Amino acid sequence: MTLELNDVEKSFGEKQVLKGVSFKAEGGKAFGLLGRNGAGKTTSIRIMMNVFSADGGEVLFDGKPINYDEVQFGYLPEERGLYPKKKISEQLVYFAELKGMRHTDAVASVDYWLKRLGMAEYRGKRLDTLSKGNQQKIQLVTALAHDPQVVILDEPFSGLDPVNAMLLKDVVKEIIAKGKIVLFSSHQMNYIEEFCDSIAIINGGKIVLEGDLHTIKRNYPRNRLVVRSVKAADIAKEYKDRCKAGDDGALYITLADPDEKHAVIKKLAESYDIDEIRVFEPSLNDIFVEYTENNI
Amino acid sequence: MKQFWKILKFELKNYFSKKVFIIVTLLLVAVIAAVMFIPRITSLFESDGNADSADAESSAASDVMLVKADAGENAEVIKEYFEAEFPEYKVELTDDDLDGIKAKITDGDAECAFVLTSPTEYTYYVDNLSMYDQNTAVADEALQSIYRINAMTASGMTPEQANEVMNIQITGKTESLGKNQMQNFYYTYIMIFALYFVILLYGQMVTSSVATEKSSRAMELLITSAKPVAMMFGKVISSCIAGLTQLAVVFGSAILFYNINKSYWSQNILIGSIFNIPSGLLVFMLVFFILGFLIYAFLYGAVGSTVSKLEDVNSAVMPLTYMFIFAFIVVMFSMGSGEVDNILMKVCSYIPFTSPMAMFTRIAMSRVPWYEIAASILILTVSTIGIGVLSAKIYRVGVLLYGTPPKFKTILKLIKKS
Repeated sequence: MTLELNDVEKSFGEKQVLKGVSFKAEGGKAFGLLGRNGAGKTTSIRIMMNVFSADGGEVLFDGKPINYDEVQFGYLPEERGLYPKKKISEQLVYFAELKGMRHTDAVASVDYWLKRLGMAEYRGKRLDTLSKGNQQKIQLVTALAHDPQVVILDEPFSGLDPVNAMLLKDVVKEIIAKGKIVLFSSHQMNYIEEFCDSIAIINGGKIVLEGDLHTIKRNYPRNRLVVRSVKAADIAKEYKDRCKAGDDGALYITLADPDEKHAVIKKLAESYDIDEIRVFEPSLNDIFVEYTENNI
Repeated sequence: MKQFWKILKFELKNYFSKKVFIIVTLLLVAVIAAVMFIPRITSLFESDGNADSADAESSAASDVMLVKADAGENAEVIKEYFEAEFPEYKVELTDDDLDGIKAKITDGDAECAFVLTSPTEYTYYVDNLSMYDQNTAVADEALQSIYRINAMTASGMTPEQANEVMNIQITGKTESLGKNQMQNFYYTYIMIFALYFVILLYGQMVTSSVATEKSSRAMELLITSAKPVAMMFGKVISSCIAGLTQLAVVFGSAILFYNINKSYWSQNILIGSIFNIPSGLLVFMLVFFILGFLIYAFLYGAVGSTVSKLEDVNSAVMPLTYMFIFAFIVVMFSMGSGEVDNILMKVCSYIPFTSPMAMFTRIAMSRVPWYEIAASILILTVSTIGIGVLSAKIYRVGVLLYGTPPKFKTILKLIKKS
């Protein structure tokens, strides 16, 4: 099962928001769609779900143009909101039915998910009597209850306490294991790093980086060393402008050539009292900042 | 289609479980019941209350009306006539001078006074001249009669003959070949008013229902769960059903209570005429109500989708409400003037936004050829469907626009694009 955006373009008025966006998400894997505010994430998601039609390009499911009558989406929008004055079970069943479920199935599924998320006791309460985090869990049910093939979660972890975040992680792992396409959109890079096998970074309406997260990291130039030492000052003196002190107290030494790595490590280990020395591996955060820092 | 039914069911349940909806409906039924039972209840008291009413009469006659006439022999005749014409006054002849009479009136000893200076001239004195004071008009007539009878007897007629000439009775019958506007005025008026209130009330409800979904951001989810056309039609048709139900309950209970108390209302021509609605007209009422309701509710829904904050709802629906009020005023004026077939009404009965009220009024109060009715209904039906589809499109682009309400042109551009 794959879901693909192919060269999608979209303008609002004079402003072109998407300038040929392409990426591909696969079933059984989590896909992270990253981008700064206003980069075009939500527009991409809305086009994917047929809220807007694209000006150009296409949405493919399993390689063929998508048929929205057959493919079900579950969506947790970034702007959360349901009917604040309505009973929780009532509106959850309504939303599941809107997605095509039969009434009895909808009731059963809503019950299952409320229990799974530890919300069963709130079934008969009005939504606006719940805390923000709990409202978010209710909203999550609307994305999952109708058992969709594609689940799109926009900032799913914002507003959750650590225990609830853990619960959500388990749920997300469960639905990934069921072979569904899970698409994350988030600014919290640690969660993306934990879940997502592949990512796409969108910037200024274009995909600036896409692929398997491990491969991306592996292909990142391995030309920096992280060094921790009590003699940091001496080392800094020796490497001068090639050396930069990090916020964490470690020294970052940029090598002229990755092949030089072995020689430098050997030299450092012999000359100074070294606590730690390793090749710098960028975090997703670093990669994100690097690719999106300029021009939006 | 399945989504449409789900939405319809959900929205209907919203209406029928609203406390306001239930309370207002029950209150209206209670008021109607009270009004309809009034004659039955008062008749219960009347059977042993005759003495009271006699008392009331005598006290009413205690207001004194002074009459001063110079022509002495005529004074008694005038008094006789005035007593007959002013049963609510105690008519007294007086010889007081003007100041004496004025003093009596200002002191409250007398209510008013006619001071005649000749058989055809008088001055009417009263303390506070009431807005509804008809005494001079009545007195004019009485004096005219006296003058004429005097003139006739002077030229040789006997007083009996003169009286006969004065009181000749004309018998006549009216046969209306078209509609009797006197009879159907009231029920047309009531129906137009019902149409007006229900559309205005429910239109606003549709707007705020859409705007609430938008401001609570439930829209983000709805728009990805259901088709805009299903959303729009589900919402609007459910409000139409709710409005129709409310009307049916109110009118139904009125008819029921009227029939229970029918015998007590037999003397009241007004009430009788209201409940004497031809059933064919009720069918037209239903047709124009449904179509008129839908066309406006669609527009109200579309307007609601362009509003992001509930505070903006009122100003956003203003143009729509004005258009509707315009139609209402045109119809009301035409009804009042009795000229329901004037040019403006004729034009309005083909414009979809005014035809529900204009054409209905013409059908009720005048004779309209069937092809004109058919044309009006056809135009209205086609435009209603067109407006429905258009409003679903506005809804689709409108619901995702936040911030200041967009201009109509912007929306049209967006619709064209999508």
